[in-house]
Order: sequence, then C-alpha cells, then structure tokens
Amino acid sequence: MTSAPSTLTESMTESAAEVLSRPSRGRVDEFLQRVGNWVEVAVDRANPILVKEVRQALKSRQFVLTFLVVLIACWVASFAVVAIVGPDVYYVAEGSRMLSVYIAILAFPLVLIVPYSAFRSLAVEQEDNTYELLSITTLSPGKIIAGKLGSVTVQMLVYLSAVSPCIAFTFLLRGVDALTVAILLGYFVLESLGLSMLALLAGTVARVRYSQALISVILVLGLAGAFFSSLGMAEEFIRNSYSYIRDVWFWVGNLAALTFYLTTFALLHAAAAAQVAFPTENRSTPLRRIMLLQHACCLSWISGLAIEEGVSIIREVVLVTAIFTGIYWYFMGTLLTSEWPHLSRRVQRSLPQSKLGCTFFTWLNPGPGTGYMFCVANVTMVLATGLFLIWLLPSTRAMGLSLDQIVFFMILSWCYVVFFLGLGRLLIGWIRRFIFVSLTAGFLLHVILLLVSSGAPQILIYTSSSIRFNYDYSLLHLSNPFWTLYTVMDRGIGGFDIATATLILLALALIVFLLNVRAVAGELQLQRRALPQRVVEEEEELHPAPEPGPSNPWDNTAEV
Amino acid sequence: MIDSPRPLIELRHLHRYFGKTRAVQDMSFEVLAGEVFGYIGPNGAGKTTSMRILATLDEPTAGDAFVDGFSVVDDPDRVRRRLGFMPDYFGTYQNVNVREYLDFFARAYGLRGTERKRAVDSVMDFTMFDTLANKPIAGLSKGMKQRLCLGRTMIHNPAVLILDEPAAGLDPRARIELREMIDQLAKIGKAVLISSHILTELAEICDKVAIIEQGQLLAVGTVEEISARSETASQVRLRALGDHQVVVDWLAQREDIDAVDNDGRSFSFTHVGSEENQALLLRDMVQAGFQVVEFSSKTKSLEDLFLHVTEGRVQ
Repeated sequence: MTSAPSTLTESMTESAAEVLSRPSRGRVDEFLQRVGNWVEVAVDRANPILVKEVRQALKSRQFVLTFLVVLIACWVASFAVVAIVGPDVYYVAEGSRMLSVYIAILAFPLVLIVPYSAFRSLAVEQEDNTYELLSITTLSPGKIIAGKLGSVTVQMLVYLSAVSPCIAFTFLLRGVDALTVAILLGYFVLESLGLSMLALLAGTVARVRYSQALISVILVLGLAGAFFSSLGMAEEFIRNSYSYIRDVWFWVGNLAALTFYLTTFALLHAAAAAQVAFPTENRSTPLRRIMLLQHACCLSWISGLAIEEGVSIIREVVLVTAIFTGIYWYFMGTLLTSEWPHLSRRVQRSLPQSKLGCTFFTWLNPGPGTGYMFCVANVTMVLATGLFLIWLLPSTRAMGLSLDQIVFFMILSWCYVVFFLGLGRLLIGWIRRFIFVSLTAGFLLHVILLLVSSGAPQILIYTSSSIRFNYDYSLLHLSNPFWTLYTVMDRGIGGFDIATATLILLALALIVFLLNVRAVAGELQLQRRALPQRVVEEEEELHPAPEPGPSNPWDNTAEV
Repeated sequence: MIDSPRPLIELRHLHRYFGKTRAVQDMSFEVLAGEVFGYIGPNGAGKTTSMRILATLDEPTAGDAFVDGFSVVDDPDRVRRRLGFMPDYFGTYQNVNVREYLDFFARAYGLRGTERKRAVDSVMDFTMFDTLANKPIAGLSKGMKQRLCLGRTMIHNPAVLILDEPAAGLDPRARIELREMIDQLAKIGKAVLISSHILTELAEICDKVAIIEQGQLLAVGTVEEISARSETASQVRLRALGDHQVVVDWLAQREDIDAVDNDGRSFSFTHVGSEENQALLLRDMVQAGFQVVEFSSKTKSLEDLFLHVTEGRVQ
C-alpha cells in the first residue's frame, strides 16, 4: 500500500476562469494558448460519454475501416469518372451525375453505419455489463442519451469531412448548384441524426439478448430500406432541384417537415431518456409536454395554411390533419393509458398545487386516467379547430368529398378514438386488479381490442346462415372503425344510416368517457407531498437562504 | 468507528419479490460511518438483491433503504453521489486504458478540471495503478481488474461503499491487499458493506456481520454478539492430573456436559451454557479436588457461527 487515500477527500477545483486566464507569451503564443485553453475547457465540460466514445472510436477497427472504405470509394469514383469522361470534362456538365455517386457513397455510412453504431453502443453497454455502472453515476438519463448521440454526430462529421472535398469537386464539374448540394447534405445529416435517435431508442428498449437480436434484425432491414429510398429521393431531387428550389411551397413544406422532425426528434430523445431513467422518476410529463408542443405546431401549420390559402385547400388540409392526428393520438393514447396508476412519492412531490396549476397541468401528470383525458382533450381540440375552420372558410367540394362527409368523418373519428382508448383503459384497469400489466402489455391489449372489435362483426356474419353472403356495410359493422370511416369517404353519407351510426357511436363514446371520468377522479385527488426532512436539510446546506437585509434606509439607521 | 448523527446505510423492512420468489423479506439493519459490515449468506440468499436496491439498480417491493438519510427509492440521484457500488462483475470498456477508464467515471460523477485529475491520480495511487496508467484494460489480470473496479467505485469519494464479492477469484496476495484497502477506507470514515463467501476474511475485517438466508435476516451484530445470542453449546478442552476415569465419571454426572471424550492426555466435552457457566464448572471442579492444569473453550469461528445460525442449510 503506497499511501492512504486522504487526498480523495481534499479536492481543489480549478475553475474554467482560472484555466482561461493562464499567463501566456507573445501574440501568436497568446492566441494559441487561448485557443488551447478554450479547447481544454470545452473538453473538460463535454459530455463524458462523448469524450469516452470518441476515444474508443478512434481506436476501433470498425471506424477506421469504414472511414478508409469511404475514402477509397470516393477516390476510385473520382478517378473513374475523370477517366471515362476524359477531355469532355471541359464541355459536359457531369456535376449532377457525380453528385449522385458521392451521395450514394456518403449515404452508406450516414444512413447505415452511424445509426447502427448508435444502436450497438447501447447494446454493447449491456453486453459488457457497463450499462448498470453507467446508470448509477450522476449522469442524468438525458445526458446519457445526448452523449451517445453526440458521439455518433462526431463520427458522422468525420465521414462528411472525407466526402466533402469530392462533393466540392462536383460543383466544379458544373451541372449542380451550391444550394442543391447544401440542401442534399442537410437532408442526409438530418436523416442520419433522426435514424440514430430512433436506433438509440431501439437500443434502450432491447434489454435482453433475444430482443436485442430481433430488434437488431428489424433495424438493419429498416436502415437498408431507408438507405435505398434515400438514394431514390436524392436522385429525384438532384434531377429536378432547379424547379423545386424555385417553388415557394417546397420551402413551406420543408419548414413544416422540419417542425415535425424537430418535435419528433425531441419526443424520441425524451422517450429514450425515459427508458433509461429510474422507475420512480417522472417519465411521462416531459413526453406529454413534447406531444403537446408537436400538436400545437400541427394546429399552427393548419391555421397558417388556412389564413394563407383561404378556401382553396382548407378542407383537404383539415381532412388530412384529422386522419393523422386521430392516428397519432390513438397511438400515443394506447401508451399513456397503459401507464402505471400509482404515482411514486418522488412524482407526488412535484404535483401542481395552485388551482390554476391543477386545472391546466394535472393532465400532464403521469397516470392512465390523466393520459386518457389528455388525449381526449387534444383530439377534441383538433375536431373543434377543424370544424371552426370549415365553418369559417366554406369552400367547394374537396377531393370529391362533400362538407357533410368531412364533418361526419371527423365526428366519427373522434368517437372511435374516445371509445377505444377509454374502453382499453377500463380493461387494463380491471386486469390490473389481478395481475401486473406492463406498458407493453397494455399497448398490446389496446391493439387486440381494436382488432377484435374490427373483426368480430365479420366473424358473426360468417357464422350466421341468414346474412352469411351479405358483403355490404351495415350498422353491424359499426365496431369496425376502418370499414365505417372508409364507407363514409367512399359512399358518402347516403350510403348508410349515418345519423343512427353517429348517434350510437356518440352515445357509446360518452358512456365510456363518463365511466373513465369516475375512475380518473381518484388520480386527481392526489396532493403534493412535502419534501423529506433530509432533502430539505441538504437543500439548505447547498443553497442557504440569504441574510435578510434592510428593506429601507431607516432600518440601518435604526440599528445604528 | 466515527461518530455520525445518522447511520450511513439503513434498511427498513425491505422486501423484494420476483413473482412468487421472495428474494428479500423484511430486512432491517444499519451501518455507521467507519464501520465494515459483512454480509454473509449462501448463493441466492438475497445479498446481491438487497445490495442492488441500495445501489439504486432495483426497486424494493415494500419497505425502503436509506443512504446517508436519503431514500434509494425517492432520491436515487442524491444517493448515487454518496455511494460507490462494486458489483460481482467487472464492467470494463473495450479500447480503453486504465487512466481513460477512471477518467470517464470521474467525469460521469461530475468531477471537473484539476479536481478530476487529482481524483484519478489519488485512486491510481491507492489502487497501485500509477505505473500501469496506459495499460489497456483488456490486458489486465483478474486481480488487477478487481482493483481497478474498486478504484472506479471510490473515484468520486463516496461516503458509502457497497462491495459485492470483491475478493472472488483473487490470489492470496491480492486478497491481503484488498483487505488492507478496505481497512484503510473504514479508517477514513467510509461505511463499507461487503459480501463474501470467504468467511475467514470477513471475520478479520468486519466490525459487524449480518447472516442472511432465503431472503431473511437471521442474525445481526458483532461476531461475539451473535455468538453469545445464538450459541448454547461449546467445545471445552480439559487437562487434569490424577485418575482420568474419576474425572470422566464426575463430568458424566453433570447435566450441562455431554459427549465426554478422553484421549489419555486430555478430555474434551460439549458444555451447554454461557461463559459464566463455564467459569462455574471450573470452580466446581477445583472445589471437588481435581487438579486442573488446562481449561479452554473453543471460540466459534464465523464459519461455525454461520453454519449454526443457518442450521446447516447452506447450499
């Protein structure tokens, strides 16, 4: 034993300010010193996982090999094209063709290798037994995910740096403009980041070996699909970029897509962080906030389009939004209504206290009841906004659909979402009286409920001798949302007794809703829990209350 | 032992069930600052489960555990700042050397700048890695990896150390080094909870022990306390001058003595009773006129105690 670890208890912190104010000599030296100090501070404050994984990546064979393959592929492609084109290079605009080749080379690491590395980086943590060691450090779940994402971003930048000289070369060959190149690179960077985020989420879900293997296969197939479809879209964009760039709707569409991308990215990040967080953490509220943000962005875009375009496309926009938001909230609702109903003491410490807070923020608290209400409120908001916009901006038929068709379609969609989510929540709550139902099991129960409900009428018909060969839609198929909504769209409101169907569905949705309201009341009665005494003591130690100073000049005088 | 207003580790009626399996049942004990607490039990007794709950890697089904007064369920982030956990596996990264490994965990525990460098240097010095800083972890022996893992556990200078089978697979020299390290850690005020199958080692370094079997705590306290509480019979060796048969007959008459054996030079027998009763037995023998030249009772080892407390149900 060399020495007692007394030094462990004696720590001296050199602040960033001290590092930056180190003395230096000469102007160049001073500049270099300053840059060096900045870098030192930046590395010191960088995410630990980022630092560690960059160190590991630089030593790993996989990274070096992929980098070399990309580099060699770029060189070979460049030499081949120059050799094939020969002297014509001065007359023929070969830039766009070359760009397609380089983009294909770049897409290989960006769309395939980088996202898969992100998945593997989490999987390896589990295989090497380091995941648990990492999870008990003081790194927050968000930082763990951000660190993993940061390291794949660095890898991505390295691959980009290998291909970028070649891409610059295509610009010199003519036939492609700088904006097209920039947009295309932007697309691929965003795609790579988005897929990496998705892969990280998949990595957090895959906890055991067999699920890791299964998810790994699905991921590779998905990435391969993304790779080939990206190449197709890139080719199309390079060919027609001239017309795209001049179209204002291209930019509007891109901006809307970027909004969707960013909010979805944040949602995936929060979901991945929730997966690695300690079970008693509040893992639902951050997700609900982002869902709300995404929903608000969606409604803002619809409203913006309505104001900008007026009557011409409003019905199409409303209809498409109703379809997508209906699916979105049903999917999110299946997860939210499967949450565990008992809030941990830790979560109860942060419950809203004021009446205003309780009114608006209770629905963001974890729990299946609040989750159900949250989804219903958002779907209702879409229905209300859609109906308001249609009323505000009456127009002619859209997509061959009448106003009645669109209105009934929206109302029926609302009924189905409210009914199925509510029934699923009641079913899960009932099963939980006997056995533990996990989030995944709850989600599967919702899916089974929907499938059974959709398939049951058909089974009933097939087993009945009197109506066996009746293939037409009837009210018996009301429990099948897909067929009902399709019939509204396809045959219009005269195709069947839509008034009766709507009344039945509305009544069912309201009954299920009211049954849920009764159950949700229990979740709403929870009060904020006081902080434990030990936590209060530590907070007072860490953040002592400031000494009360004089509130006016006479206070001081009085003391004197 | 260091005076502290509150125990650094506290288990309060801790339960952990996995389906119908009751891994931990109603477990309660405390560990104070500067105390080395041994955790003894056969495989599957619930040692690792309760340690994992303390390390905020698992949740209890009921009850709670506290580290420096903070609940592992409600405040895992505050617990993690105060706790170092060394599991019974290594958990090492590929393509990383010793310094990088420790540096990573120092960063992960929020140490910055010089503070981090000093912590890494101190730990490398303490675990005797100062000359092997750039050695890849993959090339380390098992003993070295154990030392490195202990270093990682204490990189953020935690008040509480939980060591799950730290001596498993170590050679005798490495075990001695590990024992010395734990001893030093206790001297500077750390609370150390340590589990091991090597009971002789635990007996040497532990201030207190807890014997656990099938998820239940059977005994807690110092070895002497448990021995005194649980022990009713002890093995006594006696040497007396004179006719041995008389001695045997005299001993056989007593109700508190059993299984008397005479090897020609000395006697051995089982005495049922406390140490005070043994003193009374000696007094009676002397008063009866026996010339007693040696009277010794064998102190039970931790192994004996463990076997006795667990009623031989060790798997």
